[in-house]
Amino acid sequence: MIKLFVQLFFQFFHIGVFSFGGGYATLPFLYEIAEKFHWYSTRQLTDMLAISSITPGPIGVNMATFAGFSTSGILGALIATIAIVLPSLIIVTITSKIIDKFKTNLYVKNAVRALKPAGCALLSAVGIKLIFSSHLHLLGILILVTFISTSFIKKYDPLFYLGISAIIGFCLGYFHLIGV
Amino acid sequence: MQNSIFSIFKVFFKVGLLLLGGGYVILPLLQSELVEKKGWITSEELCEYYALSTSLPGIIAVNTAIFTGRKLAGSKGAFVSVMGVIMPAFLAIILLASLFEEIVYMKSVQNIFWGVGIGVITLLFLAIKEMWGKCVTDKFSTIIYILCLILALFTKISPALIVILALLIGIISQKIKNERMKKYD
Repeated sequence: MIKLFVQLFFQFFHIGVFSFGGGYATLPFLYEIAEKFHWYSTRQLTDMLAISSITPGPIGVNMATFAGFSTSGILGALIATIAIVLPSLIIVTITSKIIDKFKTNLYVKNAVRALKPAGCALLSAVGIKLIFSSHLHLLGILILVTFISTSFIKKYDPLFYLGISAIIGFCLGYFHLIGV
Repeated sequence: MQNSIFSIFKVFFKVGLLLLGGGYVILPLLQSELVEKKGWITSEELCEYYALSTSLPGIIAVNTAIFTGRKLAGSKGAFVSVMGVIMPAFLAIILLASLFEEIVYMKSVQNIFWGVGIGVITLLFLAIKEMWGKCVTDKFSTIIYILCLILALFTKISPALIVILALLIGIISQKIKNERMKKYD
């Protein structure tokens, strides 16, 4: 049991250290784990892709919890989940310390200034790619345009947009207006 | 201003709960909760954290949460923010572990999440709109924005490299500025 805990910890810690680029960057590692350790099958991983989009949290975290839980219960789930975020905690802390230390250096200052438009551009690219990849059809685009254009008059809480769009999805599906 | 650790945890728990779809959804959520409602951080800082998060190892949403938490209340803030964000994910998987297959493949559940997908994209664009107004303000930032957007959309260059490129441009432009100053002296 202890050996399993240690393995769980190191495998998911390893993902936390080596996955770059977000989104599905953790997937190759998760497939590797499925093949090597059989904590879950590749079929379960594919299912998890669907599940992860309807449960809170990034897929890496979801998969860590699932792998831990299915092999050794709550404690295993806890260990694997902590293990995948621990590297981030360490790396981000070190990075922000370095940035704080050299904040007054003109070069660092200007480099950090360049980060803002870069971050904004990367996020814009995610948004644009998402529109083309998420099978919205004409109806979905229409709803999206309505949401965004009404936001110029009044912007609601994120919860409102998620809730309303969930209801719309349910209703449209009920009347067979979307082909999911 | 030190914010109370518990109130930071609460905000991040809410963000974690609404973190549906991809991890990037954390940006609109933080924009709404922390920038607009609480005023604890600015849109500019959020863009900065996102750029840094994509260029560091680890899960982007988690990295972004930690950067933000650290800014709010140091190491303690970093710790509670990451715990807040992953706790709903953890609980959801534990609770649903045995019911997964039945739930996920139910037609009505899929319809609901088709709808939520639209909500998620809406949130993303609302956040981009806000951030764009704050982060793209002069010639320097416009050039970097357009360059990075083109690279991210039309090439396969990894986001991490795009961020590093932006950092380099920042450093080089400072260098050019320095040289010019020297000339005038």
